Amino acid sequence: MDFDLSDEQLLLVSSLQSLFHPYGEIPAEGKGATSYFAADLQRKLVQGGFFDTARQAGNLEAALVVMEAARLPVAVEAGASALVAPNLMETPPEGPIALVSGDLAKAQRMLSVAQTALVDVGDDVVALPIDPDAVEPVETMLAAPYGRFRQPPDLSNGRRLGAAAVGKLRQWSRVALAAECAGAAQSAVEFTLDYVRERKAFGQPIGSFQAVQHRLAQCHQIMRGLHYSALHAAWTGEPVQADLAATYAQMHIQKLVFDLHQFNGAIGLTTEYKLHYWTFRLRSLQPEAGGGDAAALAVADKLWGAAA
Amino acid sequence: MEFAWSPEQDAYRQTLKDTVAELLPDNWTTEIAPHSYGSKEQIAFSKSFCAEMANRGLLVQQWPAEYGGGDGDAWQQWILAEEMMWVGEPRGPQYMNVNWIGPAIMRHGSPEQKAEHLSRIAGGQVIWCQGFSEPGGGSDLAGMKTKAERQADGAYLVNGSKIWTSYSPSADYCFLLARTGEQRKAISIFLIPMSLPGIEIQTYPGLVGKGHLNQVFFTDMVVPESMRMGEEGQAWEIITYALRFERVSVARFHIGRKVLDRAVVQLQREGRFNDSAVRVRAGRIVALLEAGRLLSYYVIDQRAKQGSDDVNGNIARVSVSAASQELQAFIMDYTPDALTGGDYVLHEFFRANLSSTIAAGAYEIQLNLIAQGALNLPRSA
Repeated sequence: MDFDLSDEQLLLVSSLQSLFHPYGEIPAEGKGATSYFAADLQRKLVQGGFFDTARQAGNLEAALVVMEAARLPVAVEAGASALVAPNLMETPPEGPIALVSGDLAKAQRMLSVAQTALVDVGDDVVALPIDPDAVEPVETMLAAPYGRFRQPPDLSNGRRLGAAAVGKLRQWSRVALAAECAGAAQSAVEFTLDYVRERKAFGQPIGSFQAVQHRLAQCHQIMRGLHYSALHAAWTGEPVQADLAATYAQMHIQKLVFDLHQFNGAIGLTTEYKLHYWTFRLRSLQPEAGGGDAAALAVADKLWGAAA
Repeated sequence: MEFAWSPEQDAYRQTLKDTVAELLPDNWTTEIAPHSYGSKEQIAFSKSFCAEMANRGLLVQQWPAEYGGGDGDAWQQWILAEEMMWVGEPRGPQYMNVNWIGPAIMRHGSPEQKAEHLSRIAGGQVIWCQGFSEPGGGSDLAGMKTKAERQADGAYLVNGSKIWTSYSPSADYCFLLARTGEQRKAISIFLIPMSLPGIEIQTYPGLVGKGHLNQVFFTDMVVPESMRMGEEGQAWEIITYALRFERVSVARFHIGRKVLDRAVVQLQREGRFNDSAVRVRAGRIVALLEAGRLLSYYVIDQRAKQGSDDVNGNIARVSVSAASQELQAFIMDYTPDALTGGDYVLHEFFRANLSSTIAAGAYEIQLNLIAQGALNLPRSA
């Protein structure tokens, strides 16, 4: 067991950080929006081969790609392209990829920017090419692009991946969302720490108050737990570890978002401030792949058998 | 980064499992383990168990060979901790000797102290208690009042009292902290035999199991200078080092998985594990325990590479505490009979966790240390 990144893994992270460096701020045209999808960065990730990382290096490395991308205030689609599709298909489809499930009449995360949807239809997975004209963007406070099918999609236009793909889709969707939560949580905690070290109230930095420190210490601990749970789930490739990582991530989003917004105060509710790009991306991940309760139920099913 | 056990580690774990299966008597789970690891029954058993573990080279495998160990690493120590915890900690209080008292003596003890204590600890037949907390002062260690006053002949005259001194009624030695000056951190460490004149022990009945809640009184106790470990006033440095090992020393997440499994098996037997609400709770607790496991393993990895750990030990402890609290709540909500004559493993876990967020630095102290050590926040006003 070795918790330090290898030289190759460090090189990967370093390459990602170099690529991401110009994207640390929201461009002028996106200022004030609830989210900003960086289409040019999405292309660079494809061109740089980062979505081939799972095949070239491994799933843990692919999870690092997702985590690093999630640390940015701008949004890109990395989870499905880097982790889900490569574990599902020999030839991954064109991205960005939306992971679609449930009621297809409702808005779906990433659908407004997606070229492909991987649709969980219960007993199969359909890889559905997306006609942009068939999707309408949906306005939301959540910090990710959302879209809705204008008409119910014709799934016969897609490619059926087979029943075996369902379990893999759900497994890797959970790993992906856990990795994305880990990256977003890290940035949100770091951003808040910078704020509470500087912001003064009652004559001293609010970060000097124990009531603030203790909750941020808990957030930091949770963030560290998210980080290793997600990487561990990616590394093992075991379905129950994916369920555990997603459970851990989704059960803590409420606390993270509450505490981090609390310590930034009302300025955190303005969209010109950056906090919401991470906290409301966390919110967008809270119900994904069935949500935290479904992930916890999946843990129980796998460890102790299905309910009678 | 990778998360695999090596074949050697797997083999070592299997050796421990086989040894435990061989050494634990038939009445272990019925007559010895239910008394808790601080009880006289378990302490008495620990002396034969640890001695046999020592004979087989398994008690202090991770210690340097010059002190009776096998030049193993921190992972071996941790695998030992997990396997012992899994069966109810048959080492009794001697886990403490192996984890941090011995290493502290190795690092700071005089040659005479090393000669006196390390071979006994490595032999598995000596019981220690720790004299840290005092009436009126637990977390505020620097506020301690027990005094060790230097006499003309160089010896110290110790007066004062320590409290919550687990295992003290059965202890052979005490790792004692006492004030040797007026300055806040003018504290020194003494390795004293509990047979010294001037020691009295009062035991309090309590919720946390036999042998844990005691008060030790020191009245005009004469302590030779040779029993002081390190320099006068060096206690802070020494215990900062030693307590790092204590904070992540008990594999609570590991026994937590066993406890939860037993609770679920009981619920299944009683036809009560079909409720989604219960299943979600159980699934969440596993997620918490496993995150605690990974954060603890990160600390062990640090120890294996650097010899010690840092604020990550506090982070791991907070994580495992959160998981343990949720498991405690689960026991109370769904298998409350554990507290009224039911499964003793659940009962012991519940009981041990009453003090786990107070001992070894209260939960809030851990958060303070994270705030300062990891978050770089200013000291609280």
